[in-house]
Amino acid sequence: MPGDPTAQVISPALDEVAQARLKQAYGLDKPLYVQYVLYIKNLVLLDWGRSFTSSKKVFDILAYRFWNTIFLMGAAMCFVLVIGVGLGMVMAWRRQGPLDMGATVSALVFQSAPPFVTGLLLLMVLSFRLDLFPTGGMHTPGVALAKGAAIFLSRDFIHHLILPTITVALYYLATPMLIMRDSMLEVMGSDFIELAKAKGLAPHVVMIKHAARNALLAVVTVSSLMIGFAIGGQVLVETVFSWPGMGQLMVEAASSHDYPVAQGTFLVLAALVIFLNLLADISYCYLDPRIKLGKTSKG
Amino acid sequence: MKLETIKEFLVTQYKIISSHWFGIFGAVIILFFCLVGLLAPLMAPHQPWDTLRDANNKLAIMRPPSLEFPMGTTAMGRDIFSQMVFATRTTVLIGLVSGLISILIGANIGLLSGYYGGKLDEILMRFTDIIYGMPFLPFLIVLIALFGRSLWFVIIAICCIVWRTSARVIRAQTLAIKQRQFILAARARGCNNLRIIYGHIMPNILRLLLLYTAFNIAWSVLAEAGASFLGFGDPNNLSWGGMLYNLWISGKIRTAWWWFAPPAICIVLLVSALVFISRAYEEVANPRLKQR
Repeated sequence: MPGDPTAQVISPALDEVAQARLKQAYGLDKPLYVQYVLYIKNLVLLDWGRSFTSSKKVFDILAYRFWNTIFLMGAAMCFVLVIGVGLGMVMAWRRQGPLDMGATVSALVFQSAPPFVTGLLLLMVLSFRLDLFPTGGMHTPGVALAKGAAIFLSRDFIHHLILPTITVALYYLATPMLIMRDSMLEVMGSDFIELAKAKGLAPHVVMIKHAARNALLAVVTVSSLMIGFAIGGQVLVETVFSWPGMGQLMVEAASSHDYPVAQGTFLVLAALVIFLNLLADISYCYLDPRIKLGKTSKG
Repeated sequence: MKLETIKEFLVTQYKIISSHWFGIFGAVIILFFCLVGLLAPLMAPHQPWDTLRDANNKLAIMRPPSLEFPMGTTAMGRDIFSQMVFATRTTVLIGLVSGLISILIGANIGLLSGYYGGKLDEILMRFTDIIYGMPFLPFLIVLIALFGRSLWFVIIAICCIVWRTSARVIRAQTLAIKQRQFILAARARGCNNLRIIYGHIMPNILRLLLLYTAFNIAWSVLAEAGASFLGFGDPNNLSWGGMLYNLWISGKIRTAWWWFAPPAICIVLLVSALVFISRAYEEVANPRLKQR
């Protein structure tokens, strides 16, 4: 392993006795499994250790960073789901039209561009050349900050939020949009749509009330898978826009061998992925009455 | 497999890919990058790490594209065209190797899990669920930070994660095919389990396998680019993501468009080529998408 983690806390320049005493103080002289049990115990007690570099408590650092990440991710995901589902619906309805072809190709291209490429491009054009948006961070330096949740509602914050949100959204738009289009096409072939049309309902009523509602299920399934990838994109976007979230923290911690911070961040990110997957599963039960929690199907 | 079947197989794949302009576009670009990767040492005019001087013996630092330096030079006076050519080699190698290894893992886990069912299925699928809980890029970063920034660790780290989706999808398809009559017939003829899995089920999910091979390669390329951009790539083997990392830390992003454009465009081109090919397969695998 490159860089013995203890070398950062316990200087190798100290004499043997002092090093041994420090190791004892940190509990590093105990066998590994005892250390692991201690780690788990402290984890539950929310004592996640201190950063090697700033000696702040890991839990406090993460508590600050957590909401910054959630806010950026939430904004982007809402954007993606609303626009994706809406566009996918219209694309299926006007299949093979210019909108369908154009949106398919551009969505596939943006999905193929890693978020840091899109982010750098937007930065170069909109921030450096045209000077429309700030180049990074969450606030303009020197501006007095609002207190508490009001931070997330200030104009300055929203202005900083726009570019990262667009970057994340462009990357993830293709998945819900194309899934919505494909599953709409499948639903539109079924008999009840023919029936709804035969009843003489207006086309937009058939599209929204009958077809889209059934097609939405597939989008929910896939968005749960998308979320796992979304966290990875988050890391890149936060780095490009110097957004002080967990992703940026993770990269900094991993490259400076700050193991307690890297460990804590990874844990929170993994917990987040699992929690969001659970949320998607629950909403799936809610949307599809055929699936019930806790009941096994017969035969 | 007999020569006849291989030929028939190749002809079918050619037909699928060439049936749609998506597929043709994708195939041409992928072949182009493979060729550049193979011929890299012949094509590059300079070594990627050489600091160059121009005709007047001045250091060629941050030069825009010119006749002498077709894609310009970096902040360290290195030729971007040569870097691009060598970086293509690294990126294509990592993408292909980890894409193929991960489909091998994913396909086998999916086939065995779907075919045998029961306890084995339970164990393999819960393991897949655990991998699904891993945030991809953070996992990659932690693994590379722990074990070192070498080409092979990057490949191993990518393989550890990328197989998960293919395993789930292939298991689902195996479950469906297992119920069909011809599997029962094969068993009645006395085929053993392995022969049924690899001789009877696998040929029927071949299209899905190829689709997910393309996806896995695309994901591997994206993952490698992301990790390298964050500074976790192999420092001895420059890749496209690594070039963008060098640009980012040099702080020249405000002016050096010629340094940003080539790697950025190539990443987008290669990944979209793979996505377009997979889209061509999807149109065939799912006939409902076709015009009625």
